[in-house]
Amino acid sequence: MVSAAPAARRRMIATIALVGLITLLALGSLGTGPVKLSPLTVLDALFGGGSDVQQTIVREIRLPRAVLALAIGAILGLSGAALQGLLRNPLASPSLFGAPQAAAFGAVLMISLGWADVRSWALPVAGITMAFLSVFVLLGIAGRNASLLLLILAGLAISSLAGAATALVMNLSPNPFAALEIAFWLLGSLEDRSFRHVTLALPFIVAGAIILMSQRSAFRALSLGEETAQSLGVNVSRLRLLVILGVALGVGGAVAVTGTIGFIGLVAPHLMRPIIGHDPARLLIPSALTGSALLLTADIAVRIIPSTTDIKVGVLTSIIGVPFFLYLIMRERRALGGGVA
Amino acid sequence: MPFSSAKREGVRDVLMAAALLGSICASAPAYSAEQPRIASINLCTDQLLATLADPEQILGLSPYARDPARSWDAKKAAQFPHLSGEAEDVLVLKPDIVVAGRYTKRATRELLKDKGLRVVEFNPARSFEDVKKQLRQMGALVKHPDRADAEIAKLDAAMAHARETARRKPFRVLAVSRRGWVSGGDNLTTSLLSAAGLTNAGGELGLKAGGYASLEAIVSLKPDFLLVTDSNDYAEDEGRAFLLHPALEKFYPASKRIVIPEKLTVCGGPTLAQALDRLATELQRVDH
Repeated sequence: MVSAAPAARRRMIATIALVGLITLLALGSLGTGPVKLSPLTVLDALFGGGSDVQQTIVREIRLPRAVLALAIGAILGLSGAALQGLLRNPLASPSLFGAPQAAAFGAVLMISLGWADVRSWALPVAGITMAFLSVFVLLGIAGRNASLLLLILAGLAISSLAGAATALVMNLSPNPFAALEIAFWLLGSLEDRSFRHVTLALPFIVAGAIILMSQRSAFRALSLGEETAQSLGVNVSRLRLLVILGVALGVGGAVAVTGTIGFIGLVAPHLMRPIIGHDPARLLIPSALTGSALLLTADIAVRIIPSTTDIKVGVLTSIIGVPFFLYLIMRERRALGGGVA
Repeated sequence: MPFSSAKREGVRDVLMAAALLGSICASAPAYSAEQPRIASINLCTDQLLATLADPEQILGLSPYARDPARSWDAKKAAQFPHLSGEAEDVLVLKPDIVVAGRYTKRATRELLKDKGLRVVEFNPARSFEDVKKQLRQMGALVKHPDRADAEIAKLDAAMAHARETARRKPFRVLAVSRRGWVSGGDNLTTSLLSAAGLTNAGGELGLKAGGYASLEAIVSLKPDFLLVTDSNDYAEDEGRAFLLHPALEKFYPASKRIVIPEKLTVCGGPTLAQALDRLATELQRVDH
């Protein structure tokens, strides 16, 4: 191919640019907060200088938040790209399939029934189990070569069910603050998280990312069609199970510490496709990086936008994500219409 | 708020109210008509009522009166009928007076007034003077002003005791609750603290009655102590986890946290005397 070399260079440049952008955003995230600190103070405090208070603010309040935004944005972007690759479908994303909502139900079950400390392993484990179940059921119901319409309808049903179940356990809670706490929590926020939350989520996010990345070449084979992939030695049902597992681990772990943060998984791969091309294997890492950049940006924005009470980051990502989703539906209108006929 | 538990116990309430009504009808002449019979639909009026009235005068207390975390004395409250806090059971009981909070359950209060009941509303107390005024007011309602005077005397004694034990150092104390709700300058917490010679650092954040403060703001404000409502290490939700954040625990370990249970300060009432005693003991513990 004649265009191979320039395309490879373009991918390389895009990836390096993304890494640079994320570094800047991460520093920006460390520099943003209710207490004004100059960039130099922040850097100084980060490496152990400055006063006790400055160090605590940067290293124990802002750093865990930035690390979580980076990791969770990445796993959401990666999950979106992986699901879109698996289903060969540009509208696939964890949040449209009800996975975060189901994971939230698992975690809310733990919180509202008072079964576990919110900073314990019970939360990610419950979140992951429910996320796994939801994606598993969804793919079971919609079937192997499901049309867009079927997937979206099944996803809608599952997220409605998870939402209703969440509201129900909220009402059964013995904790009088549960309704408010959970309502806030469901909106998705990175505020006041500590390294304890990082330790809870990160192992699962890393495990999920490794599983998804390991299936890179299978996605590429799959993009040629299921039969071709099978003839190339890809075990499609095993691939499907692994992707579900990877997405559930990543999304479940993330949701357990931040609540639901939607639409990053949908948007990130789309932003990268015009630059990287349609190869699902090559799309994985740039999508993860874009996811990080998006979530870091959103989390900086919620701290900058003036408001009387804090804006939740999950609200912001949905406000940007949903119009984007509507635009995608418009673009895919023909395919959706085909699904009905 | 536990709507669900109220709902679950609703049926029982109705049955109880019916049984109660039966017993009142049967035994009505046994109690002097001079003493008004009173129902309370607010946790704070519950406390005033149960402290000052004769048990026979109390037709019912609000649902939270039995909540062990918030009620001034859940065990004592359990002796009295337990209302739903809504209009129905109050109407059935036909009390001479209904006592309620000024800012809660507005629809219920208006409905009761429409039905011709006498509803007496109490403001949330913001200072010790308010508390004393309310004790006198309730004492007059239940026709036991002497008991109100005794409670006021207890309160004055507790204040004098707190002032005596107060150290010379005017420590800055920040009262923080779940999610970082900080008590501001103009409220009961400030009165409580200043009675013991302490200042409420919440005033420095520019909050009047109170508001949310970020972890960063609290850490940079550097109050000498935090005033919290409990000392356990269990985070049942993210709101509670705020108080256990490593950044706060680093500067404010248990030895820098003054603990006064919520049930002693949630209302401006007779429990404030206990709250003051507790504050004096806690100060001895943290400042040595």
